[in-house]
Amino acid sequence: MDEFQEILQDFLVESFELIEQLDQDLVELENRPEDLELLNRIFRVAHTVKGASSFLNFDVLTHLTHHMEDVLNRARHGELIISADIMDVILESIDLMKALLNTIRDTSSDSGIDVAACVSRLDKCVGGSGKVETPVAQPAVVIEDKPLEEVSKDEPDYDNMNPDELEAEIERLLKVRQSEDQAKREAKSKSADDEDDFEDEEIKPVSKAPVMVAPKRATASANHDSDSSDDARAAAPAKKQTTVEQTIRVDVKRLDHLMNLIGELVLAKNRLIKINDDVEERYEGESFLEELNQVVSIVSLVTTDLQIAVMKTRMLPIGKVFNKFPRMIRDLSRELNKKIELEIYGEETELDKSIVEEVGDPLVHIIRNSCDHGIEIPQIRLEQGKSETGTIKLKAYNEGNQIVIQIDDDGKGLDVDMLKNKSLEKGIITEKEADNMSDKEAFNLIFKPGFSTATSVTNVSGRGVGMDVVKTNIEKLNGIIDIDSEIGVGTSMKLKIPLTLAIIQALLVGVQEEHYAIPLASVLETVRISKDEVYTVEGRSVMRLREDVLSLVHIGDIFEVERILDSSEYAYVVVLGLGTSKLGLIVDTLVGQEEIVIKSLGEFLKGINGIAGATIRGDGGVTLIVDVIAIMDMAKHVKATKLADSSSDAAMLTNEKKKASDYTVMIVDDSKTDRTIMRKALEPLGVTLVEAGDGQEALSILKQGDHNFDAMLVDIEMPRMDGYSLATEIKKYNRYKNLPLIAVTSRTGKSDRMRGVESGMVEYITKPYSADYLSSVVQRNVNFKSEFLK
Amino acid sequence: MSDKLKEIMSKQNKKHDEKVGHSDDVVQLVGFIIGDEEYAVPILAIQEIIKPFPWTRVPQVPKYVVGVFNMRGAVIPLIDLRLKFGLSPKKHGEETRFIVMRHGDDVAGFVIDRLTMALRIKKSDIGPAPDTTNGDETAIDGVGKQADRIITILKVNRLLQRDF
Repeated sequence: MDEFQEILQDFLVESFELIEQLDQDLVELENRPEDLELLNRIFRVAHTVKGASSFLNFDVLTHLTHHMEDVLNRARHGELIISADIMDVILESIDLMKALLNTIRDTSSDSGIDVAACVSRLDKCVGGSGKVETPVAQPAVVIEDKPLEEVSKDEPDYDNMNPDELEAEIERLLKVRQSEDQAKREAKSKSADDEDDFEDEEIKPVSKAPVMVAPKRATASANHDSDSSDDARAAAPAKKQTTVEQTIRVDVKRLDHLMNLIGELVLAKNRLIKINDDVEERYEGESFLEELNQVVSIVSLVTTDLQIAVMKTRMLPIGKVFNKFPRMIRDLSRELNKKIELEIYGEETELDKSIVEEVGDPLVHIIRNSCDHGIEIPQIRLEQGKSETGTIKLKAYNEGNQIVIQIDDDGKGLDVDMLKNKSLEKGIITEKEADNMSDKEAFNLIFKPGFSTATSVTNVSGRGVGMDVVKTNIEKLNGIIDIDSEIGVGTSMKLKIPLTLAIIQALLVGVQEEHYAIPLASVLETVRISKDEVYTVEGRSVMRLREDVLSLVHIGDIFEVERILDSSEYAYVVVLGLGTSKLGLIVDTLVGQEEIVIKSLGEFLKGINGIAGATIRGDGGVTLIVDVIAIMDMAKHVKATKLADSSSDAAMLTNEKKKASDYTVMIVDDSKTDRTIMRKALEPLGVTLVEAGDGQEALSILKQGDHNFDAMLVDIEMPRMDGYSLATEIKKYNRYKNLPLIAVTSRTGKSDRMRGVESGMVEYITKPYSADYLSSVVQRNVNFKSEFLK
Repeated sequence: MSDKLKEIMSKQNKKHDEKVGHSDDVVQLVGFIIGDEEYAVPILAIQEIIKPFPWTRVPQVPKYVVGVFNMRGAVIPLIDLRLKFGLSPKKHGEETRFIVMRHGDDVAGFVIDRLTMALRIKKSDIGPAPDTTNGDETAIDGVGKQADRIITILKVNRLLQRDF
């Protein structure tokens, strides 16, 4: 049984691959019905599937493919010209074949699909043109038909049979098969006999056909016409070679796992680079630094290469998606009574597997739309002086870190006024919006939910769903759609999609103490602005960016960031662009560009508005990734807040002091002895004292906010964070802006004093000092009330 | 010979059965304190218990979801059980721990005030959740009775379920 399953699996994989090629070949065949190479290839597919399915006892499938083979065989021998009608039947039979293969894949049996109608139509094709053979071929078919039908009816019972019954059934089937074979053989010999009779008339054209084709091909090779067929021929053997020798099938899960591991490695690499920077700063000029540098750069280089290499293993040519379009265009053009030609370029362009899977449906929609709404019917085209046949060009190419899929048609183009009127009618936009709309924005109306330009609903499109789904699907892939059109000339759509989903370039920005990552693909530019460059229009912040007015929103308003730090005079605006819409995102700082690995927030936190995921940074912390699409939407509902919000600062610190211990002073020094000396000096005052061993500790005590400090005594020379940095950090907080910082140090140089002043220290006490002096300085700075003095 | 073998086998089987029976009616739990009360979760639902470390705030979530943190490459939500149970927030101290719990594929870290101990409670000593808590909504699995105290046993799958 396992062996059977294995064979079945191979059979399915092979069949699906063959069929994929088949669709394209068939459409091509319609254009070049006399191409023997193509015909042979198609025939071989039917033949292979038939052979394998009869071996695996899929009788319905065998039955169908047998008749397909029949028709194709005739065509191959030049006895049958493939007309469009015959093509329809063949294509129908191939669809049935696909359906059958799908059922086999799902249920391991091919019952449940009725092929009789299609088979009889196939027979008619054969009968229609090969008049001579009809009487001979027909009975043979009838003989086969009956037992096969019976067998297929019996199929589903296998599961319920006991071994004995099964044995009997197999016996019976074998007998049926044998008798079938015998009948076939007889029919064959009969037809062979018949053929013998017609030898004089028949053989000639048959044997002539290849002879005639061959020289024609040779002479025509100079023509453009045969270029593609030559390519196809060259490609066919090459493909065969690779599938046989140079590729192995790998479970996608393993590749996914590998990709995850690479993600971890990229994170570790980022971390290593950060550590390297830190070490470089601390041990400047040490000889081992160079070695470390070398190792770090090699590791980061190899990691990048490895990442690209693994990404490549997941890449599939986009041709896999494009392949189904020739067939679709053909069906559509017949259905819509239009003449449409599809030109495909760059089908070898590669994309990540997950994207290839996602991009198919949007493309189907766009192409259907182009066929239905874009390309005009032949008469109109002729009237407008265009060629009768409309052309749709499907191109794929790389552009930087993105892949661009471009769909061009030479149809009637998008009518801006019509789009606007339509949207007004449906209430998608207001009159005012319509007036202010640029052409580009108007084109984008087709992506609005509930919009459909077709006046009548056809089978193909026009239900008003579709293009907005296309947009959401493409945006889900972090891609954007660019649309351009000219009336009477045609429409061009560009889908720009990142190569891979897992690892992206991001711009890291800071707001207060938080960091966020913005996908670099949506960042157009960054601008530094001062606060007075921000204007308020209708309750929304805007700024002038060259010729345009850009609406602004503060990232802190979107993500509910608490304003603890004092905002500096300047802020940065990250200009986000998505298609034609733009938004300025105000941030406090720009941290830099980094390669980040996208991680999901998990089931518990999924779907948070404005957050696309998270990434792990070089320092091991988690940084959230901004969902640009969502932010653009959220920005509409966020009220403008003023950048300069400093009126409400430090006032809260002026609490009424009722006793000496209401005063709180922090002592920051790394030496226990020095702390004790200061404590001894201040204890007589009765103030509350808090000690910290270094700047970091002091800062975290401040952040906790357990005490309201009235002054700080700060040593300059401290490990981890020195006094200057501490002072600079403290001054960033709104709350502590006016907190008196008193430097207590043995550094007496003038430059040291200057630095102290620069970083915001109000007093500078040099060690050694007398206890009284220290006490008096502190009293002065905390406005110590004299009545508390004992 | 074969009789003897059978005898040994049956003896071993019996022993084995006894063992299973023994462990069957005892539940192993890890106890912890939130506010003034002692709670417990099954020991097998706990992936690890770690000391607090930095996390990242996540916007637009209820207050009790304090953020996400990085646990060896995985981004995991952090939930403060004090806030979740309606208590006032409290600064993380020396005894504060993150308990990382797992149920199926769902993982989350929970902030608790202090660990108590690993417990073995007989199943017979576990009563149902009080009637005042309404059926499916409650995160209480049952109430374990120890000699000197009562321990509330929590449903891990309920805790890990998103309810906003």
